[in-house]
Amino acid sequence: MLRRYLRLFGVQLRSSSLLAMQYRGDFLLEGLISIFWTFTALAPLFVVYQGRKAIAGWSFEEALLVVGWFTLLQGVLEGAITPSLNGVVDHIRKGTLDFVLLKPADAQFLVSTTRFLPWRATNILTGMVIFIYAFHQMGRGPSLPGLLAALVLLGTSTLLLYSMWILTVSAAFFVVRVDNLTYFFQSIFDAARWPSSVFKGALSVVFTFIIPLALMTTFPAQAMLGRLPLQALVAAVAGAIAFAFLSRKVWLRSIGHYTSASS
Amino acid sequence: MSLRTAARAFPTLVRIGFSEALAYRAELLIWVLSTTMPFIMMALWTAVARDAPVGRYGQEGFVGYFLATFVVRQLTGAWAAWQINFEVRQGTLAMRLLRPISPIWSYAAENLGAVPMRFLVGVPVAIISVLVVGPDAVPRQWWGWPLLALALLGGWLITFLANVAIGTMALYMESSQKLMDVWLVLFFVFSGYMYPVELLPPVMRSLVDWLPFRYQIGLGAEVMTNAHSLPTALKLLAGQWLWVLGMGALAVGLWRRGLRRFAAYGG
Amino acid sequence: MISVRGLRKHYKVHKRPPGLKAAFRSLFHRDYTTVKAVDGISFEIHPGERVGFLGPNGAGKTTTLKVLSGLLHPSEGEVTVDGHVPRHREAAFLKKIMLVMGQKQQLLWDLPPAETFELNRAIYDVPPEQYKQTLDELVTLLELEELIQKPTRQLSLGERMKCELAAALIHRPKVLFLDEPTIGLDVSMQATMRTFIKSYNERHGATLILTSHYMDDVAALCPRVIVIDKGLLSYDGGLEALVQRVRPEKRVVFRLDQPVEAERLTPLGRVVSHEPTTAVLQVPPEAVSATISRALANLPVTDLTVENAPLEEVMSELFSENKARRAAAAEVGA
Repeated sequence: MLRRYLRLFGVQLRSSSLLAMQYRGDFLLEGLISIFWTFTALAPLFVVYQGRKAIAGWSFEEALLVVGWFTLLQGVLEGAITPSLNGVVDHIRKGTLDFVLLKPADAQFLVSTTRFLPWRATNILTGMVIFIYAFHQMGRGPSLPGLLAALVLLGTSTLLLYSMWILTVSAAFFVVRVDNLTYFFQSIFDAARWPSSVFKGALSVVFTFIIPLALMTTFPAQAMLGRLPLQALVAAVAGAIAFAFLSRKVWLRSIGHYTSASS
Repeated sequence: MSLRTAARAFPTLVRIGFSEALAYRAELLIWVLSTTMPFIMMALWTAVARDAPVGRYGQEGFVGYFLATFVVRQLTGAWAAWQINFEVRQGTLAMRLLRPISPIWSYAAENLGAVPMRFLVGVPVAIISVLVVGPDAVPRQWWGWPLLALALLGGWLITFLANVAIGTMALYMESSQKLMDVWLVLFFVFSGYMYPVELLPPVMRSLVDWLPFRYQIGLGAEVMTNAHSLPTALKLLAGQWLWVLGMGALAVGLWRRGLRRFAAYGG
Repeated sequence: MISVRGLRKHYKVHKRPPGLKAAFRSLFHRDYTTVKAVDGISFEIHPGERVGFLGPNGAGKTTTLKVLSGLLHPSEGEVTVDGHVPRHREAAFLKKIMLVMGQKQQLLWDLPPAETFELNRAIYDVPPEQYKQTLDELVTLLELEELIQKPTRQLSLGERMKCELAAALIHRPKVLFLDEPTIGLDVSMQATMRTFIKSYNERHGATLILTSHYMDDVAALCPRVIVIDKGLLSYDGGLEALVQRVRPEKRVVFRLDQPVEAERLTPLGRVVSHEPTTAVLQVPPEAVSATISRALANLPVTDLTVENAPLEEVMSELFSENKARRAAAAEVGA
């Protein structure tokens, strides 16, 4: 069973790579864009830290770690999660989701693995460069347990992102034409660029519990700095699993609700 | 085609664009909701300004500025690049080319058709801004209002024409989507959307005046929040309208050449 | 009305080889091939004519229509439509023509068709009086009253196509290009479309060029056909004459009182089909009467009809004939 799904995964990954190679212009630009995006993530940071030592308890270098995590997760989001799930929205609109549902494999798995943008892996490299630079500036390295915790959090963050996407896409079953849900999602995710302690009041509640952006970028950065309490780590893992569980339930329910668009 | 025909047909085109915007109101709402950047930036900058103001901007100053960028962004939005890119790839551009009116006019009309709906969102935000920040949230002087209108129109024209120019690139390359992404990145950095451009380091600040981006958003937001004296505002507006002309020439030039290519290679 | 001389349209296309490695290589080096979509065709069409373009997929029919409507520039040759050169795309020219594509639509998807009509009125600058009159006529003939106020997306394919056709005719084009206008429609809707298109041609004297996969469309609408195959014109003339040329044999259909053995049919001609009480024979035209009299004498015939071979079959024979000829020519050339 698992081997079959792994093989399926391989096939889908290969066809995405083929597709990616077809567009020459895109290919070259894509690399540039990745770097540019990172630059945008950094530009306001430089502007903000002009003449300021720390903001909301975060020094420039520490905030840089958050940006590093943001860059990394953006790569995961745009390279592995968004492309496929955008396809679902298309399927729903065109009424072709039926074909997916007819196939003898789990629908959520199938729709989640249809398309990858392999060159988004550049984001992971950029993230690494940022981490190294930030620690170099601080004149120290991350603690080993901190690094391990950060790796665990990379897993939970990916899971969280994916679950949130599944929830967003599930909305597409109920509303007509939601191509721009992607933009909605990405614009919210954009807030994860900043340490969560920047946000006060209602926004802070929203970004911790409802859209757990804080868990995705601020927690791993704190873990690397060795500042993340153990309870927070446990809470993040438990929260991510609960979120994934919830999104699976919602997905199944939405599929049940789905009626093919007439043409 | 004659400009007169186009001018005569334009009001009908805009009216139908408006009906379309009404039909897509749910999507428009999602678009509006995805304009979260000003609010996030507002949270960030008010956190920065908690202890001491940054430049001229205190916490209230930032609230006023970012609410203004929200309003300006709403009123100057255009998405013709996506439309053109999509229609070139689907081949439906052919249907537009069969008509005796340049597709640029119909794209403009469709984009403008959404303005009334966006106005409905923008005006309450402006009112909230006045209630929170006080009279500095909107122009104080009478001359500020016509200048604001001009800055908004100029901002929309630059945005729209840049969209046409970039969308047209789909006729030269397989997809112009990526080019649009590059444009957007530069836009975020230089437009004053994430911070008032005057907070940029000095080198970049002088650069910004020469680029089109700040004229899309920053200028409108600054005029709205009384950042400039009349002479400075006029000088910047002149710069903006030079960009309108430049971008217009670029867009029309690319479009004409692109169509020749389209006709040679087919859709 | 329409004059085409020596039209050629060649494209350069990038070859996309299969396989990951080859795809990667094509990032740096691209192979181009020249596709000769249309390779030197000439014809004249007079005002008010109805002409069908026939040809297999990829023969160059759509390319020709796109050249005629000014969407594509010819690589070579001269094309005029009602005195205009299409590729100049003058407003006066565009106001005279319309291209309807069965697979692409101009109706605004989320608005009622009435809005698209209104849009076209403005774009084509149709005087209000004429607009009202045209619209009334279209609404009556195509039975659109119920449809034009519903959002397009809620219409069925057939209803949508009717509205699509109406939207295309708001400015009363003098020249109408129809590219697969009945694709995907059911038989009765196809018939409705045909009747309407024919009556439009008769009432307004419009010139009409049609491509279709459904031979019935062509048979019902077009007294004249132009066959394009691999970018070349292989026939131009009456449909009837074409059938005579490609497949002169007639088909004789016998209805029988009781089943007969196959051996009793074979001496009469080539048996196309044989069911218990119906038999179809194919015979040369000069042998038709002899065959019939022999059959009447020997078989329990209750009824008979003489027909041409179905058009689809004639066409596929013509195309495979052309293909064989090309293959032979290629061999000689090599």
